[in-house]
Amino acid sequence: MNNDKQNSKIPAEQSTSSLSVIEYQKQLEFQKEAVVHLNALYNYALHLTMNTDDAEDLVQETYLKAYRFFNSFERGTNCKAWLFKILKNNYINIFRKNSKEPGKVDYDLIKDFYHSIKDSSIDTTEADSDYFHSLLHEEVYQALHSLPEEFREVIELCDIEGFTYEEIANMVESPIGTIRSRLFRGRKMLREQLETYASQRGFHGGTDR
Amino acid sequence: MNCQQAYQLISAAVDGELSCHEKEKFFQHLAECTTCTEEFNDAMKTKLIIKERIIRFTAPQTLINSIMHLTHHCAQESNL
Ligand SMILES: [Zn+2]
Repeated sequence: MNNDKQNSKIPAEQSTSSLSVIEYQKQLEFQKEAVVHLNALYNYALHLTMNTDDAEDLVQETYLKAYRFFNSFERGTNCKAWLFKILKNNYINIFRKNSKEPGKVDYDLIKDFYHSIKDSSIDTTEADSDYFHSLLHEEVYQALHSLPEEFREVIELCDIEGFTYEEIANMVESPIGTIRSRLFRGRKMLREQLETYASQRGFHGGTDR
Repeated sequence: MNCQQAYQLISAAVDGELSCHEKEKFFQHLAECTTCTEEFNDAMKTKLIIKERIIRFTAPQTLINSIMHLTHHCAQESNL
């Protein structure tokens, strides 16, 4: 996460003269509350669109809307959840209702990224003690993407982004009971997929304890 | 609580989303059932592995810049 909030980027000479004090405060608050979640939103957008250009557009649209309606953000609630909800709605509006075809799935993106982290990120000391630890980033990514969207989505929101069931239920507009059962079934499918990868490389899933 | 009931609660237990009542019953069952305990441990591991191993991308600098620009631009516009 790039924590550089770039507060210093607001030019001092214009902030008080051409912007009202209230607007200036709104900007600062927006940066502190909303812009800090840019990376998380970008990753969510990538998972939805599977394409860097579409993801960037989606994130831009989201921030544009969020800034416009920032007054309606309930202070003290989870701003990240609020932003995710806006992004999801945008996504549905652009890609579903207008039946815009999402751009080509960018597999090279995954491959390139994988190769760039490959050498530094795989912890070989643990690799042979437990099949879970032998799994590669790429395999986990692929396994997650092999799931139907409604299962993949709740797992991402819960495990990667750390939202509560209530927040997720609100985001995907389904009851908490549905979130529970999707997580349950989704994780089961995911584990089977991961065990398949592990056993293909000679690890025997679940029985090595 | 029987195994089937416990099984349905595993995900919520892993995420700390059980009610007090469910929590008590669930862990009471786990204390006397190795099958469900194993399932629970596997589910915990699965959550952990996703968290640890999933590929996270960094937003490109061009996007970061345009978001910063965007908020400035809006602010100036709405000020007119
Ligand atoms: Zn049991």
